[in-house]
Amino acid sequence: MSSSEVGQHAESKRGSSAAKATIDAALRVGGLFLAVIVVAMVFVAINPNFANPNLAVSVLRAMSSVAIMAMGLTLVIVVGEIDLSFGAMYGLAANTLAVVWILMGVSVYAAIPIAILVAICVGLFNGLLVTSMKIPSFIVTLGSYNLLYGLSLWVSNTGTFNPNYPPPDGNVDPGELNFFIGLTQNVGKYSLSVEIFWMLGIAAVIGFLLHRSLFGFRLMAIGGNPEAGRLARLPVRKYKVLAFILCSVLAAIAGILDFSFIQTSQPDIGLSQTFPVFAAVIIGGASLSGGKGTIVGTLGGALLLAELQIGLALLSPGPHVQQIFLGAVTIGAVALDLFLTKLRKSRAS
Amino acid sequence: MSRPDGEARQGISIRGVTKRYGSTIALSGVDLELYAGEVLGIAGPNGAGKSTLIRVIAGEERPDGGELTFDGAPWSPFTDWQAVAVVHQEPQLFPNLTVAENMLVGREGASRLRPGLGQADARVMEALGIGHLRDRLLSDCSLATQQRTEIARAVARASRVFLFDEPNSALTADESNELFREMHKIAADGRIVLLVTHRLEDLVAHCSRVAIVRDGSVRAILEGEALTEEGIARQMVVDSGAVHGKAAKSAAQTAAQPVFSVKNWTHDRAFRDVSLDGSAGEIIALVGVEGSGSRELIRSFAGLEHCTGAITIAGEGGEHAIDAMSAYVPATRQLSLYSNFSVGENLLARLGSPQIAGFGLTLRTRRMKEMAEVAVKHFLVKTRTTTQPIRSLSGGNQQKVAIAQALHCDPKLLLLEEPTRGVDIHSKAEIYRLLRDYAERGNVVIMLCTETLEVYEAADRVHVVANGKVSPGLAVGDYDHVEQLATDITRLESESRERMPKAG
Repeated sequence: MSSSEVGQHAESKRGSSAAKATIDAALRVGGLFLAVIVVAMVFVAINPNFANPNLAVSVLRAMSSVAIMAMGLTLVIVVGEIDLSFGAMYGLAANTLAVVWILMGVSVYAAIPIAILVAICVGLFNGLLVTSMKIPSFIVTLGSYNLLYGLSLWVSNTGTFNPNYPPPDGNVDPGELNFFIGLTQNVGKYSLSVEIFWMLGIAAVIGFLLHRSLFGFRLMAIGGNPEAGRLARLPVRKYKVLAFILCSVLAAIAGILDFSFIQTSQPDIGLSQTFPVFAAVIIGGASLSGGKGTIVGTLGGALLLAELQIGLALLSPGPHVQQIFLGAVTIGAVALDLFLTKLRKSRAS
Repeated sequence: MSRPDGEARQGISIRGVTKRYGSTIALSGVDLELYAGEVLGIAGPNGAGKSTLIRVIAGEERPDGGELTFDGAPWSPFTDWQAVAVVHQEPQLFPNLTVAENMLVGREGASRLRPGLGQADARVMEALGIGHLRDRLLSDCSLATQQRTEIARAVARASRVFLFDEPNSALTADESNELFREMHKIAADGRIVLLVTHRLEDLVAHCSRVAIVRDGSVRAILEGEALTEEGIARQMVVDSGAVHGKAAKSAAQTAAQPVFSVKNWTHDRAFRDVSLDGSAGEIIALVGVEGSGSRELIRSFAGLEHCTGAITIAGEGGEHAIDAMSAYVPATRQLSLYSNFSVGENLLARLGSPQIAGFGLTLRTRRMKEMAEVAVKHFLVKTRTTTQPIRSLSGGNQQKVAIAQALHCDPKLLLLEEPTRGVDIHSKAEIYRLLRDYAERGNVVIMLCTETLEVYEAADRVHVVANGKVSPGLAVGDYDHVEQLATDITRLESESRERMPKAG
């Protein structure tokens, strides 16, 4: 009924609505990056020392693992589902790698693929439970969040690992150690971490997948109207499972890269990342009801969060302020988005 | 209630009620009398203003003009909505509450935190035979019980007008008899009862008068001798003169090789042993009310319902043939269009590699743009650009996009449900022409219709589906008047009802 009502008003505003969708998307992303610049200017105004490239580099480093996970989550959210388990997957990947490599003495070149393989299995598990057994994804992934954390505790035997200081019965080959640390080493004058390039490379791949490939086109369609997708015999289940697998794999990659950067694994790493990553995706303009979301937006959301996080940490008014900002920005971004949409609609009619 | 019994009978009087949505006129001056104590039927083709009229009486919609009076006094159902009870096809209740709790929702008083059932409520529930079910969760009750709960709720809050909107389309024969008994009891108490249904036999059996709504006003009121199924069917289809897109029937069809055929096609509950053929160039209409098995039948040809039996499309059989060569357009656009997509993206949404994606599944964006533009021209979609949101189009144009989306898959067998529901007359004619063009290129079109006029204007052959059986076909070309066709369809429907009086 609603669509026919919309249709009846259409004659009058048809002209103006022509290129609106694209302009809207551009405005949304533009507004986000404007916010990033404004926040930066406010910080610099408070403390002029903030205007230095090293700080910008650390913001980029800080956003990269969040951004990598957020891109995976964007895929799942675009197809109309939810994944709560990626933070635990991040931890499980790092811990699996640590145990298989450092404790069991398997070469790092095999241990990393093993960790990724675990992620593929986790994604498959989530995806199949959601599509075949029709359990809501919120519940499935809430369960697997705890399940994966449990596995992390188990495989690591609640221990902490550092490849530089292997346990007495373990042995780490120096060449492998160099390779592993090299995954995220700092390069160049501003000591840019290689992790940033990983993030950009992944953004290019996932951006292509979502916005320039048949996969993304159908992902958007299924997220926009799953029932229509089913009636048109689009491969709805397969695409949902693939989205869950990609989300898990990207979380594992983020976990491995951060492990390489920090060089310490703990059983509970990644868990606290869950909600900041969600915030990045939401601030980036993805809709939890599916069918809407962009990789550029998600990157912008992650950038804004990292900027606030580091800026506020340096101003050090206390950890509570970061949390309060994270909450306020998440709600504020969506509220502003809805308000602007309403404003535009009322002006159009 | 003690008005002198003079010239006017008690009840509601509707005078010159109008309602428009944007540029569309839904009601153009409706005059209707609703008398207390009688059952008034309302019938009319889809999109004729019937549902708007019902919404006005139910107080869900404010009329733009005209006046309503109740027992002589001006009356606005919009503010006095408590007076009107609507019994829906699907009860609008709370499945997570018990029957008794459902009775009480909306009545929470200030006196107690949780209201309890009063004596009066209990009596009403007993009278309707749901007293023993009071503590059962509504979601565990049958549809008939749910409807009875809805009626009980309305009786208990002293509603004076009862509107039954397609109440028995999902009920068994026994359950609907029960329901109609309740309906007559309510009328006998001096309340106003309206019955809206597509089932003509129910209108004839249970109404004292039937109002026919067409083109936004009440065109006829049938009562007494004139109230027959054929009479209603004729009145519903009287040609308004605006459309006569009846396509030329190609005579050589019968000789053509069948493109589509099913044999012993059986569904586990909706239909059995269906056999049907379709030749190249043919448009076949299926007519069947909700629950007749017609929807399951048409969906099964698209592979959306599991069936056993033999199916052949263009010489190939089995599931592969269904997947590769049939395409299905659901009845509502909400089930075929993607609101987050532009017009162009919607037109191409069902395509894959190689049509819109090339190496590595890269989208061929330039080609997509060209294809969308060609499709917009070919399917006469009125839109300025292919990039504007689908919701900015009118209903008729959205429907063209929905059909074009399916046609893009190049099916040999095109399946449509109510292809012109909620579509204006002009788009309707264009859609029929598109279907005819498509069929003539060697394909078969099967559509599920609820309107005889649609069958008459668009189809070559019509089969009636009732009780899970498909009737022999009627050649539409043999009829010179739509009224005759309507009569014969009604006859076939009632015949198959008599053959199998009680099928669940």
